[in-house]
Amino acid sequence: MTQMEDQEKQLEFALASVQKQGVHMKMCLDKNKLMEALKHASAMLAELRTSLLSPKSYYELFMKVTNELCYLDLYLVEEFERGRKVDDLYQIIQYAGNIVPRLYLLITVGLVYIKTNTNLKRDLLKDLVEMCRGVQHPLRGLFLRHYLLQCSKNVLPDVPDNEETEHPEGTVRDSIDFILMNFAEMNKLWVRMQHQGHSREKERREKEREELKILVGTNLVRLSHLDSITLDKYRKIVLPGILEQIVSCRDAIAQEYLMECIIQVFPDEFHLYTLNVFLKSCCELQPSVNVKTIVILMINRLTVFTFHNSNASEVKLFEVLTEQIANIIQSRDLPLEDTVSLQAAMVGLALKCYPDNLDYVDKSLQTISDTFAKRKIEKISHKNPVSRELMALMKLPIDNYNDLLLVMKLKHFPEIIEYFDYTGRKTIAIYLLQNAVQCRTMIPSVEQADIVLTMVSPLVKDQPDQPIGEEDPEDFAEEQSLLGRFVHHMKADEPDLQFKILMAEREHFSLGGNKRICYTLPPLVFQAYQLALIYSGKREQDELWEKKCRKIFQFCHQTILELTKAELAELPLRLFLQGALTISQINFKNYETVAYEFYSQAFTLYEEEISESKCQLAAIILLIGTFEKINCFDEENAEPVRTQCALAASKLLKKPDQCRAVAISSHLFWSAQNNVGQPLQDGKRVMDCLKKCVRITKQCMEVSVQVQLFVELLNYYVYFYERGNNNVSVDILNQLIGQIKKEITGLTPNEETEQITKHFENTIAYLQNRIESADTEDSVYKALEGLTL
Amino acid sequence: MTFFGLGQTAELEIVLDRPDGKKKLDESSKKDQSLIYYDGETVSGRVNVILKKSSSRLEHQGIKVEFIGQIEMYYDRGNHHEFTSLVKELARPGEMLQNTSYNFEFLNVEKPYETYTGSNVRLRYFLRVTVIRRIYDIVKEMDIIVHTLSSYPDMNNSIKMEVGIEDCLHIEFEYNKCKYHLKDVIVGKIYFLLVRIKIKHMEIAIIKRETTGSGPNTFNENETIAKYEIMDGAPVRGESIPIRVFLAGYDLTPTMRDVNKRFSVRYFLNLVLMDEEDRRYFKQQEITLWRKGEKHLKGMQNRNEPSHLVSGKDGPKGSEAPRTTTQSVQPSGSIDNTDSENDHNHSPMNEGDDEQIRSSIEDSTSE
Repeated sequence: MTQMEDQEKQLEFALASVQKQGVHMKMCLDKNKLMEALKHASAMLAELRTSLLSPKSYYELFMKVTNELCYLDLYLVEEFERGRKVDDLYQIIQYAGNIVPRLYLLITVGLVYIKTNTNLKRDLLKDLVEMCRGVQHPLRGLFLRHYLLQCSKNVLPDVPDNEETEHPEGTVRDSIDFILMNFAEMNKLWVRMQHQGHSREKERREKEREELKILVGTNLVRLSHLDSITLDKYRKIVLPGILEQIVSCRDAIAQEYLMECIIQVFPDEFHLYTLNVFLKSCCELQPSVNVKTIVILMINRLTVFTFHNSNASEVKLFEVLTEQIANIIQSRDLPLEDTVSLQAAMVGLALKCYPDNLDYVDKSLQTISDTFAKRKIEKISHKNPVSRELMALMKLPIDNYNDLLLVMKLKHFPEIIEYFDYTGRKTIAIYLLQNAVQCRTMIPSVEQADIVLTMVSPLVKDQPDQPIGEEDPEDFAEEQSLLGRFVHHMKADEPDLQFKILMAEREHFSLGGNKRICYTLPPLVFQAYQLALIYSGKREQDELWEKKCRKIFQFCHQTILELTKAELAELPLRLFLQGALTISQINFKNYETVAYEFYSQAFTLYEEEISESKCQLAAIILLIGTFEKINCFDEENAEPVRTQCALAASKLLKKPDQCRAVAISSHLFWSAQNNVGQPLQDGKRVMDCLKKCVRITKQCMEVSVQVQLFVELLNYYVYFYERGNNNVSVDILNQLIGQIKKEITGLTPNEETEQITKHFENTIAYLQNRIESADTEDSVYKALEGLTL
Repeated sequence: MTFFGLGQTAELEIVLDRPDGKKKLDESSKKDQSLIYYDGETVSGRVNVILKKSSSRLEHQGIKVEFIGQIEMYYDRGNHHEFTSLVKELARPGEMLQNTSYNFEFLNVEKPYETYTGSNVRLRYFLRVTVIRRIYDIVKEMDIIVHTLSSYPDMNNSIKMEVGIEDCLHIEFEYNKCKYHLKDVIVGKIYFLLVRIKIKHMEIAIIKRETTGSGPNTFNENETIAKYEIMDGAPVRGESIPIRVFLAGYDLTPTMRDVNKRFSVRYFLNLVLMDEEDRRYFKQQEITLWRKGEKHLKGMQNRNEPSHLVSGKDGPKGSEAPRTTTQSVQPSGSIDNTDSENDHNHSPMNEGDDEQIRSSIEDSTSE
């Protein structure tokens, strides 16, 4: 038979016997045969003498038995109230030879006496709680005393004790003594369970104790329900009584549970005023007790309480806690992570209850810093639990303030960061920046920028303790992008200051190495461009603005060159172009030269650094597009550039690329403006470009590509025709359309060719539409009537 | 009571009257209820002689009534020892023609001992009326119960003792008195100073020891009057277990020492601890039982209120640590560990399943 089945069987037997004796008892009571009934009650209670049941089964049996006892209790109370008292009943039931049934009866009958003659309350309660000492068997004793506690629930005296008046019914003081004694005895029994039986059953015993803990804890719950317990009584009698027992039982399970019980059941106001005593006791608990959890639970309770009760501020909560926690740490040799999480709770308290007092948070940080120093700790691995706890702590002020500037006011914050290993520091850095970005925190000074960038230095530059090996490129990109976004958050209202910040930033970012600067420097350059525009806007107020702009662009120039030194080409090319564009918008002294320098730098990069054909195409399109927009150059500078662009376009490797790039360059001769703001509209040069394109197209081998390019060119021609380039004639268009029509039929139908055909058809349809609807106003298209569509 | 149905015969009837007019019956004896007398009380009454045949006479050689106190040993039937024998002549030899009553009176009779019925010995008082006749006498006997009352003992110290087995078990026990009256309450406590054995439970037994005979023929008979569990489970050092035993519910007699040099009845409290291997550790302590006048007992206590509570002055003091002054009546003793064979006297509860024979007994106190 398995143990489980055996248990069930035993319980079944016991329950059956209880049932039988219970029925007999009731029958006897109904016939007013009290003595007979008591015999059956005693026989029924004898089942509770068993040693065979597990706590769970015993509980079931206990419930059944006590349920039956209710009937006896009701009967006796009724009889007593009718004045039919039984002489010496309290004595008679004490003749029962076995102690367990005897004490259950004693409690039952004792309570009947109390209910019918309240003057006996005090003496009888004392008698019962003392006599229960006879049961020293843990399980049986616990349940017996639980029964006592249960029965006395509604009769415990709850009136204040006044020394001047007699209280034969007892006062709250008697109730306190009663419960404290019962509590102490139950706790001793509960603790004793641990030391019974074989050591290999330790786990099972602990599980069983876990199941029974509520019985012990109920004592404290009962105490907490006594309304007449004032703060004074709690401080002088109740708490010392409980703590004395908890400390002296020297059992970790009990201590941990009961300390938590105290915190849970008694009002926070009591805790607030008895904090010292409570925490002092924490120092005396067993070494294996998780004091940290207890203290943190207490701190958290008080945090919420203080937060909601402004009058609680008369207690110097933070100071008291700080002192006591220091004592605990000193006396208990706590693991470092526990020390840290205690301080985390303190930081939580400070943040919630004293949000304006940064010193409190700083003080906790200092404590940690001191502790680390004392323990000669240099770096904490992110795998270490200390790191986990410390991380949680560090995130608290970040999350609570939602203001990086406030976090920076914590003097010891950066100092603590340094204790983390690379991974830890990086995590904090990311957390800090994310918070700043989310909360749109602006960093308004060089000093602060310096501090932040030092705090987030694992993102800014390589670290000496950085693990060797590749980081996940995606993660890296994400981190660096975050840092890039943060660049936009370092911003002073004052332009001069802002420039200083930018310079400071560059100093930091320059240390980041090639892999980082491509993320960090571009936003910096953009910030600088923006600043230049600001100066430009302030030209009336600041007479030095031109000089400053020049300086800014020098700064940018240098910065972008740093990127080129990192063997980057496309990025600096774009930045130079953007710079040239910006410069052309700000008309400062010698700006043309500066812009030209920027543009030529871009062009040089194109020529020297960009080798891949696709990139070349993209770059040349950018170069052309940008130049089309720049109008600051005089003709002397502009003409070579235009020619150069067109030339470069025609020098691309692939024919289609050549074609497209040259086609685009045609715009340089039409819509591009000169330095007085006039569009060039050089129709001949445009035609030269397009003609060249047709030539190049004809050199293409593949028919479909050819047709595609022709269709695209047709669109160019139509565009320039519409824009009034006289050099575009119907003949040219007809020629091109004819060419396309001839070729297009030979295309093998597929997705690509379909698209080409569609493009062509749409173009033709457009032209047709324009021609048909060309009335008086749309005179340009009148001339196209000869078009063969 | 006729032989061969011849001649006149008579029935005798003894009717006792109490000097104070009240009759007291011994409630405890379940058979015929006898009147209770005390030492020095006059025993008086009337003897009725009722003739069976109204027509004929009853001849007799005299009628007498005797008051006899005697001790009977069960193993020695027929040889009764009379310690008291008083005779009163009721009638001189003569003839009786009708039913006749004779008054008698034994003035202030000395009744030194208590009536007792034990397992080997009986002490009884009775009245015997004899109508002396030539062939056979007509005899009638009537038992009376004698209770010996004691006055409050002058000295009634508590019994307090520290006992133990070295490095195994040290306890201190305390009974509030050494002399208890029959309706008394034993109040006390056991304080555990050292516990290295796994105790299962602890009980107090009240043992009656009846000693008969003398010299080499001394015979002891132990009877367990009560077994009373006072503790369940194993205590640890520092535990204090309350004792409260009401004696009224048990069939007890006063302690009798050396009654007429024939027998003694003594009582012992036996404190027994049983360990998980069913070994028993015990300590016996003699207590003196005495009978208290009933009148004092009545009315002292409201029977609707519990007595001897822990909080009361006569209740157990469970939670108190032992007193520092060791003021014990008895010399410090030891706890005895029984076995069933060689120490039968000490283990009346022994069922014979104690397999282990253990020599015990070390004096644990340093006194």
